[in-house]
Amino acid sequence: MKLHHSPRSPYVRKVRVAAHELGLHDRLELIEATVQNVIEQVSPDNPLGQIPTLVLDDGTALYDSPVIVDFLDTLHDAPPLIPRAGPERWRALGQQALGDAMMDQAIAIYSDPARKLGEPLSSMTRRRTDRLERCLDTLETNLDELGGATTIGLISVGCALGYLDFRLKPDFWRPGRAALAAWADRFAERPSMRSTPHLPAE
Amino acid sequence: MKLFYAAPSPFVRKVLISAMELGIADRIERIDAATTPMAPDAALAVANPLAKLPALMTDEGEALYDSSVICEYLATEHGGSALLPASGPERWTALRLQSLADGMLDAAVLRRYEVAMRPEEHRSKEWDDGQRLKVARALDVLDRDAASLGDSPTLGTIAVACALGYLDFRFASEDWRANHPNLARWHEANWAARPSFMATKPPA
Repeated sequence: MKLHHSPRSPYVRKVRVAAHELGLHDRLELIEATVQNVIEQVSPDNPLGQIPTLVLDDGTALYDSPVIVDFLDTLHDAPPLIPRAGPERWRALGQQALGDAMMDQAIAIYSDPARKLGEPLSSMTRRRTDRLERCLDTLETNLDELGGATTIGLISVGCALGYLDFRLKPDFWRPGRAALAAWADRFAERPSMRSTPHLPAE
Repeated sequence: MKLFYAAPSPFVRKVLISAMELGIADRIERIDAATTPMAPDAALAVANPLAKLPALMTDEGEALYDSSVICEYLATEHGGSALLPASGPERWTALRLQSLADGMLDAAVLRRYEVAMRPEEHRSKEWDDGQRLKVARALDVLDRDAASLGDSPTLGTIAVACALGYLDFRFASEDWRANHPNLARWHEANWAARPSFMATKPPA
């Protein structure tokens, strides 16, 4: 299977971490896309031109990242990353939605040109920052939600926090959130996380 | 079940159509989040700290979002294997189609916000073109594959119908039908007169 990827995408990392956890990672042939070529490279498979996009051996393309993970979860006999039924399934999928939404906010904040230019941030960026802060506070206060079996929910939150470290820097979110930071560090020790670090553009 | 929403939203429309097609619309109480803040609901605040809408509070007290998770929950827990098969190629077809349509909606909604929120001199034509082309490529693929879309609703085809409905609602002058006749025929034959689609039309 081919995976259109970038080492700078948190959604790609989530898929790769999931694949590692399921022992499927060596079945993924990684095809790197850059900002400049992503539309040209990916849109024959995914008209939205977005990564991650998985391409099966028969040419079928799967996206977006929750659909890819759902599919990978059918290819193994290990405990599922998305519980098959019941309240645990919806909790895991909801937590994935939370982690993915945090990634959305972080990308939008990082992309604000004013950040790089050292100019005052737009009101939209300030609102997004506030929302992300509330999210982080809620996670810190409800750390028991991140306990238990490793599901795609935990993977998504772990990857979201790793992305915050990568793009917005540790100081953005760790001060005052010692328990969440400790959880993120423990999660980042997993072999699946250690083998999929974010890499800055050359 | 309680559905928190802010009308009119094509993502909410997806959920409402799914509920109607499953025959469970009367089990969902709709709550306008603009007039009824979600914050007092502790379970919802913990599970949904970003206050994403639509969000569903199930009868068991679970808080679910986003719209795709909500639709999958309704289809899976309320007997909708036709809307979303439990396994096999049809499952992935339905889910991929939903992703494609949601991606179109994301791009179209973003374009709409740009026009509504940003003064003309601050808008980026390049950015707008990028979003518009994304939708155009998706429409081209849907038109090419229109024969395979079928006549019974799935989470995928419901999402496509909502995306086309949104383009009609907010980008009527761009006339998606003009270059996509197969898709236009499919929409006309299967969705335009469907009760669930007509009942959820956005207000003019």
